[in-house]
Amino acid sequence: MYKRIILIIIVVLTMVFVYVSIYNKPHINIEKSTANISIKSSDLLNDFTVDETKANEKYLDKIIQVEGIISEISLDKEGRRIIALEGEDLLGNVTCYLSNEKNKTNERLKRGQSIIIKGICTGYLMDVVLVRCIIINT
Amino acid sequence: MLLSMFSYSQGKFLTKQGYTSFFSSSPVEDITADNNQVLSIIDTASSKIAISMLMKSFMFEKSLMQEHFNENYVESDIYPKAIFKGEILKFSELDGNNKKATIVGDITIHGVTKKIEIHSTISKTENSIKLSGSFSIRVADFNIEIPKVVVNNISETIKVTFELDHKPYRK
Repeated sequence: MYKRIILIIIVVLTMVFVYVSIYNKPHINIEKSTANISIKSSDLLNDFTVDETKANEKYLDKIIQVEGIISEISLDKEGRRIIALEGEDLLGNVTCYLSNEKNKTNERLKRGQSIIIKGICTGYLMDVVLVRCIIINT
Repeated sequence: MLLSMFSYSQGKFLTKQGYTSFFSSSPVEDITADNNQVLSIIDTASSKIAISMLMKSFMFEKSLMQEHFNENYVESDIYPKAIFKGEILKFSELDGNNKKATIVGDITIHGVTKKIEIHSTISKTENSIKLSGSFSIRVADFNIEIPKVVVNNISETIKVTFELDHKPYRK
C-alpha cells in the first residue's frame, strides 16, 4: 500500500515537473545555435521578391546568417539598433533588428561596411525582416 | 511656400518600425505579445492608410505561447501577415496635436476579412503623422479556434494596441 502511494506521488511530481519545464521552455538561443542557412543579403532579398510563398517556406522561422553591406543604421524607440543590409536595387533591403542583450556593445558601424549578422527570419513586407539578431563579425 | 505645401499635401508618410501589441486577459493568465516591425503607409492626398505586419514578428514572453500562437491559432505559415486597409475620416481637418480620428476599413487576420472602425489619436505636422490607440477584436470572428484545454487561458476578445509614427517617404 505504501509503495503504491509513493509511486503515485512520484508519477504526479514527474508530470508537474514535465509540465512546468515545457511551459517555461526558453526561447532559442541564437548565439549558441548554428545557422540553418548562410546567404548574401542580395540573394535573400531576391528570393523573396521573385516568389514570396516559396521563400516563406524556405526561410520563415529559420536562423539565417546573412552577409551584406550596411545601407542604413537606425535606432528603435527603445534604443536598440536596426541595421539595413543592401539588396541588389535600392528599393528593398534586409532589415536586421538587433536583440536586447547583444546590443549594448558599442561596435562602431558605418554605412558601406561589410557585416555578417545572424537572426530569425519572420518574413517580407517592404524588406526582409530578421529579428533577435546578433552581429557575427564586421 | 506654395511648393512646400504642395509636397506636404501630396506626400506619402511611412513607418517600418510601427508598434502593435495584443493583450489577452483571463482568470488563469495574462498574455501579451509585441510587434515592433509594423509597416504602415499613409497617402495624405487620398487619406488612405495601409498597414501590414508579420505574424511571426509578434514576440511573446514564453516561447511555448509563441509556438502555439503561430502553429495552432493564427497558422502563420499559411497566413503570414495581418493587413489593414482603410481611410482616415476628415483627414485634412486633423492638423495639430492629439486630435481624435476615426479610421474605417477592412482588417484581415488568419485569412478572414472584417469591416472595422477604429478610434485613434492623431498628431499631424509637416514632418510626422503619429497614430495611436487601441481596439478589441473577437477571436471567433477570425475563424481562430481555441482548443478546450486552454479555453480558460485565452480571452475571447483580444485588445490590440498600436503606435505608428509615420515620417515623410522619400525614395
